[in-house]
Amino acid sequence: MAAQMATTKVPEVRDITRIERIGAHSHIRGLGLDDALEPRQVSQGMVGQLASRRAAGLILEMIKEGHIAGRAVLIAGQPGTGKTAIAMGIAQSLGPDTPFTALAGSEIYSLEMSKTEALSQAFRKAIGVRIKEETEIIEGEVVEIQIDRPATGTGSKVGKLTLKTTEMETIYDLGSKMIESLSKERVQAGDVITIDKATGKINKLGRSFTRARDYDAMGAQTQFVQCPEGELQKRKEVVHTVSLHEIDVINSRTQGFLALFSGDTGEIKSEVREQINAKVSEWREEGKAEIIPGVLFIDEVHMLDMECFSFLNRALESDLSPVLIMATNRGITRIRGTNYQSPHGIPLDLLDRLLIIATSPYTEKETRQILKIRCEEEDVELSEEAHTVLTRIGLETSLRYAIQLISTAGLVCRKRRGTEVQVEDIKRVYSLFLDESRSSQYMKEYQDSFLFNETKGSQMDTS
Amino acid sequence: MAVQCWLDSLKATKKTALIQDGKRKVHYLFSDGKEMAEEYDIKTDELIVRKSRVKNALGAQRQWEIEVGEPGPSISGAQESQLIKENSSNPVFVRKDTKTCFQWRIRNLPYPKEVYSLSVEQTERCCIVRTTNKKYFKKFSIPDLDRSQLPLDSSAFSFAHANNTLIISYQKPKEILLLEQELLRELKKMKATSDGEVDCKTQ
Repeated sequence: MAAQMATTKVPEVRDITRIERIGAHSHIRGLGLDDALEPRQVSQGMVGQLASRRAAGLILEMIKEGHIAGRAVLIAGQPGTGKTAIAMGIAQSLGPDTPFTALAGSEIYSLEMSKTEALSQAFRKAIGVRIKEETEIIEGEVVEIQIDRPATGTGSKVGKLTLKTTEMETIYDLGSKMIESLSKERVQAGDVITIDKATGKINKLGRSFTRARDYDAMGAQTQFVQCPEGELQKRKEVVHTVSLHEIDVINSRTQGFLALFSGDTGEIKSEVREQINAKVSEWREEGKAEIIPGVLFIDEVHMLDMECFSFLNRALESDLSPVLIMATNRGITRIRGTNYQSPHGIPLDLLDRLLIIATSPYTEKETRQILKIRCEEEDVELSEEAHTVLTRIGLETSLRYAIQLISTAGLVCRKRRGTEVQVEDIKRVYSLFLDESRSSQYMKEYQDSFLFNETKGSQMDTS
Repeated sequence: MAVQCWLDSLKATKKTALIQDGKRKVHYLFSDGKEMAEEYDIKTDELIVRKSRVKNALGAQRQWEIEVGEPGPSISGAQESQLIKENSSNPVFVRKDTKTCFQWRIRNLPYPKEVYSLSVEQTERCCIVRTTNKKYFKKFSIPDLDRSQLPLDSSAFSFAHANNTLIISYQKPKEILLLEQELLRELKKMKATSDGEVDCKTQ
C-alpha cells in the first residue's frame, strides 16, 4: 500500500515543479555570499563578478536594516555582464516580505499616465506597510472532500468540503479556484486547515490526532495537531504587508458603484497621497504599523529623460523613499531630452548621489561555469567538447548568444535521438542562427540588395 | 447612565430617513465613520433590519454586518463564487425581533429538541447554543444589551423547536423597551421623504 502511494505520488510532484517557466535569470537564487558577506566563486547561480557581488551584499545589508531611505545605486557594465542578475539576486535574498518592484526605463512612457505619476506609483509600490488587520478565517478538520468532474470533461468542477471542530460540522460549496488550491496543497480527510475567507488562502496546520494511527502513509515531517474547538468561522488578527500604492488606490477610488469597475487606477491626487503619508506616520507612532522600505529597480535607466531624472533627485530626498537600484549598459552618451552628453546618460547631479557598482566581462572559466549552470536549468546534457566549443562561442560572440544556443542545440540533439549534445549539434545551430557580428557582416556585404538601400549614409538614431 | 448614553449618541448622528415599500428606512452616520442602517415596518413599528459597517484599517469599506434580519443576496458575484461558501443545507442563523423579545431563529436544524442546550457566558457576555451530537455550535452576543451595558440574565432565555427551526427568545428588559419607544418617537418626528430622489445628508 505504502509503496503504491509512493509511486503514484512522483508524477504529481513533478507536475507542480514544472509550472514555472524558465526565464533568462531563473537560475539566480541569491547573491551567493557567505555570512561574512564574502562572495563564493560559484553559488546560488552566481558566477564570478566578485567585487560587484560583495558591493551588492553591502547594499543588501543596508536595505535589510531598513533605516536608510533614499539611497540610490547604479549598476553599470557592458551588456551581458550580469547587471540584471545581480538585481535579481538582491530581490531573491530579500525574501517575499520586502517589496521589490522592477521596471524597465521605457515602461514609464505610457499614454494614459504622466511620466512622473508612473514613477511615483513605482516608488510607492516599493514601500511596504506591515499592518494588523482582522480577517474571517475558517479553521477546522477536514471530514470529507468531494470533487465532481463534469461528465462532458469541460466546464468547471464543483465540489463539497465538510469541515468540523470539536463542537460542530459544516458543509461548504467549493468554487473552481478553491478546488484548484485544495488539490495543489493536497488537502485530504484528516488534515486540519485554515482558509482565509476573503482571499481563499489555504494553510495546512497538520494532521488531526484522531488520524494518528494511519501512520504508514505520511512523511516524517507530518505534524499532529488537536482538532480545533468552538465555531468554525473565527475572526483573527493577521499581520500582512501592503504597499503604499495599494493604500493609495483603496482610498482614491470612488466608492460604491464605480468600485465594481476597478482595475484602472489612473492618476492619484497628491492630496490623497499626503493624507495617506500622514495616516501611516500616525500608525507608526501608535505602534499599529511598521514601514518596510523596499527596493525599486529600474533597468535600462538611460531610457529615462531629463524630467524623470530631476524628479528622481527630488523623490530620493523624501523620508518615505525606497532604495533605488538602477542598471545601465551605456557609456558616455546623450541624456535623453537634452543635447548634453553625460556618463551613462545620467545627469551629473544625480550621478553624484549614486553609489556605482561596476561589472566586468566574464573570464573564460566563468563563462564555462555559467553555461554549465544554464544547461542544468534548461535540462540539457552537454558533452565535454561541446562545452568547450560553446565556451569559445560565448567568449568570441556574446554570452547571451551562447546561452541561446543551449536550448536550440538541445532540440537538435533530441531530434536525432541523442542523449548528449555533441559538437556537431552546436555547429549545426551555429550555422543556422547568426550571432550579432556575423549578422552585421552579412548586412555590410548584401546591403545593396535590401529594401530602402537608396538612403545610404544616413544612420538610424538609436538613442 | 449607559442607556441614555447610547440614545444620545444616536441622536447626535447624521440621520437620513425614507419611506419605501411600506418600510421606514433610516441611515445613521456616526462621527467615527461607522454607518448603521435600520428598517422598520410602518404599520407595526417592528424592527426588520439593522446592519452596520465600518471602514477597515486601510480605509476600504467592509461588507455590511447584519445584526437583525435576513442577509441579502451576495452582491460580489463572480469573484466570490470562485472561492468558498456555505452550502445551503447548513443551519442559518437569523435574528428577528418582536415587540417584547429579542428573538433568534436557526433554520435547517432537523435534530430533536433534546439535542440542544443553551448556556450563558457571563464573562464574555455571550450565549452559546450547543448540540449533543456535535453538529451545531453558535456563540452569539446581544449587541443591544452591550451598547447599554445591561446585564445578561440567563432566566430571560427560552427556546422552542418546530419545523426544523430552533427559536430562541430573550425577554427585553424594561430599559430597552423604554429606549426603543424613545427612539421610535424621535424617528417619527423626522421628515421622511417618500421614495424618489433623496437629499442624503449622510453621504
